[in-house]
Amino acid sequence: MWKTNLKILAIALVVIGFYTTVAHIIPQLQSEVPEALALGASVTPEALVAAGEKIYNGAGGCTACHGLGTRAPNLITDYKGQGAIGARCGTRKPGMDCKAYIYESLTQPQAYVVAGFDPIMPDMRKQLSEDQIWAAVAFLESNGGTVDVTGDDIKKTAPAPAAGGAPAPAGPAMTATLDPVKLYSEKGCIGCHQMDGKGGNIGPSWDHVGSRRTAASIRKKILNPSSDTTKGYEKFAGMMPGTFGTMLSAAQLEALVTFLANKK
Amino acid sequence: MTLTLALLQQAVSDTAGAYGHFPGIGGRGAVWIAAEVHLMFAAFVLGVPMFAVITELIGIVSKDDKYDKLSHEFTRLLVFAYSATALWGAMLLFALTTLYPKFWAHMAKIFSVSMWIYVSLFFVESFTLYLYYYGWDRWRAGRAKWFHWGLGVLLNGWGTTVMLIANGWLTYMMSPPKGVTAEGLPPGVTMWNAIANATWIPINIHRLIANAVFGGSIVAAYAAYRFLAAKTDEERAHYDWMGYVGNFIAISTFIVLPFAGYWLGREIYQYNQQMGITMMGGFMSWLWIVQAVLIGVLFLCANYYLWTGMGRIPGAERFTPYTKWMLLLLIVCWIAWSTPHTMIATREEMVAMGGAHHPFLNVLGVMSAKNTAVNLMILTTFLSFLIYRRANKEAVVPWAKTGTLIQAAMFVIAAGVVLFYGVYGYFVEAIVRIGFSVYQVAAVLVCILGVTIIDVFIGKGAKSRGEIRWGQMPDRSQYALFVLAVTFTWLMGLMGFARSGIRQHWHVWEVMRDTSPDAFTPALGYAANMISLCVVIFLSLVAFIFWLGGLAEKASHGHAEETPGVAIPKGVSVPGRGTAPVTGD
Repeated sequence: MWKTNLKILAIALVVIGFYTTVAHIIPQLQSEVPEALALGASVTPEALVAAGEKIYNGAGGCTACHGLGTRAPNLITDYKGQGAIGARCGTRKPGMDCKAYIYESLTQPQAYVVAGFDPIMPDMRKQLSEDQIWAAVAFLESNGGTVDVTGDDIKKTAPAPAAGGAPAPAGPAMTATLDPVKLYSEKGCIGCHQMDGKGGNIGPSWDHVGSRRTAASIRKKILNPSSDTTKGYEKFAGMMPGTFGTMLSAAQLEALVTFLANKK
Repeated sequence: MTLTLALLQQAVSDTAGAYGHFPGIGGRGAVWIAAEVHLMFAAFVLGVPMFAVITELIGIVSKDDKYDKLSHEFTRLLVFAYSATALWGAMLLFALTTLYPKFWAHMAKIFSVSMWIYVSLFFVESFTLYLYYYGWDRWRAGRAKWFHWGLGVLLNGWGTTVMLIANGWLTYMMSPPKGVTAEGLPPGVTMWNAIANATWIPINIHRLIANAVFGGSIVAAYAAYRFLAAKTDEERAHYDWMGYVGNFIAISTFIVLPFAGYWLGREIYQYNQQMGITMMGGFMSWLWIVQAVLIGVLFLCANYYLWTGMGRIPGAERFTPYTKWMLLLLIVCWIAWSTPHTMIATREEMVAMGGAHHPFLNVLGVMSAKNTAVNLMILTTFLSFLIYRRANKEAVVPWAKTGTLIQAAMFVIAAGVVLFYGVYGYFVEAIVRIGFSVYQVAAVLVCILGVTIIDVFIGKGAKSRGEIRWGQMPDRSQYALFVLAVTFTWLMGLMGFARSGIRQHWHVWEVMRDTSPDAFTPALGYAANMISLCVVIFLSLVAFIFWLGGLAEKASHGHAEETPGVAIPKGVSVPGRGTAPVTGD
């Protein structure tokens, strides 16, 4: 029986060893924790690009979609003969330069979605700090273009610390506007909701929304998007960010709710 | 800068006192081993009672004692495995309390009531098991037997409820309800909402099926061990049959597992696109190549075992010429399935390839090819089962030929649908292609269901071409059962890493961040080392339990009987003893 026992042991060890070996010979990639960068005002373009490349290939998770050509456009290699992202970014949106376009793509990804792709990219501010986002912008610019990100860019967009020295909440700097049409663009609603022929088609149109929902229902939906799902949009359930409660001031929220409730 | 410093200060204060230290392998390593080995034993003690109850019921209804003995033998293994499950559970609890106190305090704050219920149910479950096992001989006839069987059902009920509660905790870590913070649940969100989160039900279904698969494979390995150690033909016959039953349950339930997996994956995507993409297309994409290698081995070994087993079935030789083609198909599909699609490559490599795809392997690596491959492997394995089942039967119903032709047509149509959508998938957008997998899976399921129903009716009153010669299996077939058990165990470890790893540096996804030095998610090589270590620990303890099972058997039967506790399956032909009576021994 000892011979049989040894045979069983040998087979078990060979099988375990085989699987372990297979797992070792494939590419070894570990998911890094997003590092807090402290680049400072005098950061060089080279330092930004180096940090950005690390984020692109690691903590940013960008390679999961970009570069495959199916989920999102290639960024590092050519896309439809237009070159890498650094070469084409300045011509994507009229009047918007390369740096602004890439920054907008990272922070308001639904504002402009390349034709033929689904709007699946998340707002990277949920995962990355402003330093990291700007480093990623610099790295993407370096692929076929010129890096013009500076330490000032980081300083300009960094949220101001709240009173008492505690960190300010993540998210874009709030503006004071109470104009719902401005808020529609500024807060990124345009990426998913159509209004007057503009905007995306991920969520229900804002035209005539007041005839479908009451003011209370609209308010609830903005503050807690998962509270219900409009019929016909089930496949996009869960896509609307739950952060509008912190992105809008109380006055802005009420201005928006009143505006939408009156769109009969 | 001020913000960065503030965040760093916050991280330091978050980390202070939040993590303990474990020598050598670190806190994460210690929790990993405790959790994984506990889970493996838990799967075993949840999977095996399912068979015990089903085989006991078959024994009651058919009045065939061999099923009752088989059920009793399963249960004997359980008694020892329960202690191991509880011990490893306690180790996990102590590891979490001492190594991740802040995280565990968060979990305890939210789930405290369910934790009390959990531990109470564990008590009830343990005592039900003792009653079930030790009351076997006392309640073995008449209405008392039904009472005994009811205890088995209760045992399954308690065990499943315990699993559902624990699943609530772990799925909460993946998909917490909206609004939860590190401080706890927001107003209006209850503990029940935290348990019944977005991925709870799919994980429950997936684990229930996987437990049956796992339990079946471990029981088959036990039977293989006893077969190889058997000293008499009767023992060999019994354990050959037991191995067949265990393997049959493992493989037949395994075939439906991918469908439960699809559902779970879909729910993960629905909950959070980023998590879904990390799982399937991000740094974890290579994990699925390793999974394909493992599942390919499972299919090959399962089919090999069946084909070898046909050597002991009179009449099976008429199917032998087909097996080499089935083997070829399985290997081709395995290669296609194991071909990577997305190459995680350096910038230079991507530029050289013109993207993240290899110019040639890209064609085989896409989901169209993979779905086609796996569905054809499932169909091939089902065909192996079918010819195994029909090997010694000669149908007598007048429509047998027509029925067989319909069955063949169903196979051809299913394979045709799978191939058609596999090829068509190359010509449509990704979003359309994803939907094609539903048609492929549906075609395979309809085929399996339809062919099985027809086969049951064709087999009515069938003439036998000769009895199955249980026990006359070559030893190498039993080693295939060991490979299956080891592979299933390793696969469970790998999938555990996938499920846990997609949270990346979050204890609770986007609620509670991991700020320990182990917060990064390790590469597959390191994960494989940990999985292998867990598998070695688990299998060593299982081997010890099997040995204990043998000791207990000897103690209860003494040396008076030549072949203690061994039943010859109904109608079994054993050299030197003739054929066992159809009423059992």
